Amino acid sequence: MVRVVNRLLHMLFVLWAVATIMFFMFRLMTGNPLAAYIDTNFTLEQQEALLVQFGLDKPLWQQYFIYIGNLLQGELGQSFFYRKPVGEVLMNAFPNTIVLTMGALVVAYLFGIPVGAYLAWKRGTWIEGVGIPTVLATRAAPEFWLGMILLAVFAFNLGWFPSGGANTAGAEFNSEFARFTSVDFLWHLVLPALSLALYLQGLPLLLMRSNMLEVMQEEFVTMARMKGLSEWAIIMRHAARNALLPVVTTFALSIGLSVGGNVVVETVFSWPGLGRLLVGAVASSDFPLAQGAFLLITLVLVSMNFIADLLYHVLDPRVSHGSNN
Amino acid sequence: MKKFCSQNCGTSPLSILSIQDLHVYYETGRGTTRAVDGVTFDVPEGHVVGLVGESGCGKTTAARAITRVIPKSASIVSGRIIYDGKDLLQLSNRDMAALRWREIAFIPQSAMNSLDPVYRVGSQIIEILRDRGGFDRQRARRRAVELFEMVGLDDKRLRDYPHQFSGGMRQRAAIAFALALEPRLIIADEPVTALDVIVQRQILDTFKDLQERLGLSVILVTHDISVVAFSCDEVVVMYAGQVAEAGPTAAVLAEPVHPYTMGLYNAFPDLQRSAGTLVPIDGNPPDLTLTQTGCRFADRCPFVLDECEREAPSLIQANEGHTAACWRRGEAAALRRQAEEVTTWQRS
Amino acid sequence: MAATTDAAPALGPGIYRRKTKTQRVLNALNGMVAVPMRDPFALVGLAIYVVFVLVAIFAPQIAPYDPLEILFADGKLASNIPPLTDDHVLGTTNLGRDIYSQLVFGTRSALIIGLSAAFIVAALGTLVGLLAGYFGGLIDTIMMRIADVALGIPFLPFVIVLAAFLDPSVWNIVLAMALLLWPNTARVVRSQVLTVRERAFIDAARVTGSSTSRIIFQHVAPNILPLSFLYGSIAIGWAILTEASISFLGFGDSNVVSWGVMLQDSFLSQALSRGSYHWFLPPGICIILVVVAGFFISRGYEEILFPKLRD
Ligand SMILES: Nc1ncnc2c1ncn2[C@@H]1O[C@H](COP(=O)(O)OP(=O)(O)OP(=O)(O)O)[C@@H](O)[C@H]1O
Ligand SMILES: [Mg+2]
Repeated sequence: MVRVVNRLLHMLFVLWAVATIMFFMFRLMTGNPLAAYIDTNFTLEQQEALLVQFGLDKPLWQQYFIYIGNLLQGELGQSFFYRKPVGEVLMNAFPNTIVLTMGALVVAYLFGIPVGAYLAWKRGTWIEGVGIPTVLATRAAPEFWLGMILLAVFAFNLGWFPSGGANTAGAEFNSEFARFTSVDFLWHLVLPALSLALYLQGLPLLLMRSNMLEVMQEEFVTMARMKGLSEWAIIMRHAARNALLPVVTTFALSIGLSVGGNVVVETVFSWPGLGRLLVGAVASSDFPLAQGAFLLITLVLVSMNFIADLLYHVLDPRVSHGSNN
Repeated sequence: MKKFCSQNCGTSPLSILSIQDLHVYYETGRGTTRAVDGVTFDVPEGHVVGLVGESGCGKTTAARAITRVIPKSASIVSGRIIYDGKDLLQLSNRDMAALRWREIAFIPQSAMNSLDPVYRVGSQIIEILRDRGGFDRQRARRRAVELFEMVGLDDKRLRDYPHQFSGGMRQRAAIAFALALEPRLIIADEPVTALDVIVQRQILDTFKDLQERLGLSVILVTHDISVVAFSCDEVVVMYAGQVAEAGPTAAVLAEPVHPYTMGLYNAFPDLQRSAGTLVPIDGNPPDLTLTQTGCRFADRCPFVLDECEREAPSLIQANEGHTAACWRRGEAAALRRQAEEVTTWQRS
Repeated sequence: MAATTDAAPALGPGIYRRKTKTQRVLNALNGMVAVPMRDPFALVGLAIYVVFVLVAIFAPQIAPYDPLEILFADGKLASNIPPLTDDHVLGTTNLGRDIYSQLVFGTRSALIIGLSAAFIVAALGTLVGLLAGYFGGLIDTIMMRIADVALGIPFLPFVIVLAAFLDPSVWNIVLAMALLLWPNTARVVRSQVLTVRERAFIDAARVTGSSTSRIIFQHVAPNILPLSFLYGSIAIGWAILTEASISFLGFGDSNVVSWGVMLQDSFLSQALSRGSYHWFLPPGICIILVVVAGFFISRGYEEILFPKLRD
């Protein structure tokens, strides 16, 4: 319990530090504090309201506290481009990113874990000799380039999948849920999720493999053999169960990492997610939106690190069940 | 010394296990390590046979070879392991796996690493009972409780994870594991070495008790000659991958024939001698990757002769049921008197 | 049950032999060179690097055209020439630039970015790790807190935001990598220093007359150098991948020929829908080769650093 509180405080500290860094980056690097929040194309009333809301006429240190206060209320200003509150724009894009990330990760882990275990089992054979360099190559390939190939082959050449977006233009749905479960949406999801998964599967695969190799050396696996347990029981019940532990925690870590890393794949497939929003905002100098998207991505990253940490301690009985002695 | 011999003393029961000229080699980067290089000994039914020797002399390798669960780098090059009339080395993998634990169980040196850290101890016993013993869930549970009682553990501890056990409790649990399927032979590889002396005695007592009650045959690996004196009927002294001397514990300890045994006995304090006379044997065991023509103990032996360096002595009967691999086994009585002098073991 | 102890196995003598300082450093350096010779993967990785470095150095001699020159043939723009034609091995772009020449010149920016980022990340990480591990206490705490924050910042978005405020340049990527990626190296180096320090204190107690700090550095150098190398060789690949992503997103310097810029160019010029595989496949393959070479080499180091992986 102390540990949980401790990690939580740690997470809040990191969030605060990143928010502070962002504050100074946006205030100081845009040259003019007004420029960070006020677009000259806004109406005068709008400009006035933002001036007050963010205290842009006050000294910097006061602006800082107003900024932190606004952040705590989820108040991120007005997007220059969309002419809407930043929070609203972000919340439209966020679910798309989450669905893409989770979809890709689930595929990546469902593939990577068993194949990693298999490669460990095939250690020293030609299968390993071919498999390992192949996996390393997918880790080394830029994810957007994988996406470009899939796009060229399956969308443009074969025409099996749409070439971009999350829905066919003009498609209408009763609810967000209906949209996410529609065939149309899933059809659009396949290629971007696949290119992400292709890139992401290397981590669970290699990790699972090296953990398996390590666990197979453990005395308790030797003992399982001495007990005459079947090879299946030894591999699945003992070796894989132990090797899986750290891999599961990287799943949570990967969510955090790929929400930020998705940026490029979202761009290739014009996927209306957070990353593409960030790129667009930066390119069009929409500072409030850029800042908001950045902070949201950070929030996901940091809280997933936190969850991964907790998960590890829940799953490992050596930690979750303290010593009795 | 408590006793040298349990109920079967005097009679000569049939061997349950007979190891004949066993060779087990490791392939390493530096060459071939001849960890077990021609080992022969018998385990009479219902007896406890001690396997003693310095660290690295091949005890574990020999013991594990009996179960045929050995590292990838190791191979059983030649020899025979006759268990209950069958040569285990000729069995198919399947027949061997069927025999494991039901007939031959193992108690490892470090019970901590031998238990799977992510399962409760109880469910690991139950796994053996169900997977290998054909128990149903309920009977397996009852049997697990019974086993824990036998080895002196509270059955509440079945719900614990291995890391929640103390070292001694883990070793007791390892004994319970070994007894689960009522095997006829238990191989115990230094079952108490990692523990302090008091706990060692308690656990050996428990083990000895169970062994006598259940009529088990046991190979007890140890490098502690006082453990041998305390609990073995016969003893096999190994040196550098070979048997130096073997025979009934009483005979081997009271009248050792091989100079190495004499030295080893000096090297350990026991209840009769005071710790002050503790004398280590000078030098180190030979490198097992190198081949050697003469007796492997020659360069540490205070009684070495020219012929020792030329040719290795074979394991030959010295007295009734007592064998030794030494050219000077005929002069054993005289050498023993010299061996008691501290100066014999000190070299210039 | 009475108190029990899990007695640690007694260590034999001679497990830890002392060597002189120079011997240690020499051994470490020797180990670094010797690795690729022993590991076939590392050897392949090294070979790939050698080829790319040679291509980068002799790019003007190897490339048939100026990579940015707009070419004309028969008075017409030489655009979208298919590959494997006499003058253009990999064809031309839609603006009439020679793809093969761009690919050749792309090795230059890849290696410059990769090596400089790797050097800075490894150097900074090693320095911070050394300081934190050596001084401990408050300095350690502060540095490790900063490391936590750096690891809490999403990498690619940060590079994008930074690129938005600074002029587009490859050095932004190097800067962003230096700012965010040092903690990995620092943490590993720090824990290495801590273990070495333990040993050094034991040594210092034995060898009277030599200062602890001298002994620490005697022990540290040979233990840390391969680690820095390992993290450096991983960072090379990261930097090249990052450059590609940033350029692809349009925040790179479009006056520099790089593989990332080539990919962006092809993407924006409908190379995908036209099926101009000869345009966008080669840059990706080159990236994979360089990054994989880094993996292979670092794998070699991992095997000496963490020999447990080898059986
Ligand atoms: N997996 C292995 N690979 C290579 N050589 C090994 C391996 N295991 C043991 N050896 C070598 O085989 C020889 C015998 O080792 P073994 O473990 O059988 O000795 P031991 O008598 O059980 O020693 P200890 O009392 O230390 O347990 C030693 O020289 C050892 O170095
Ligand atoms: Mg042993």
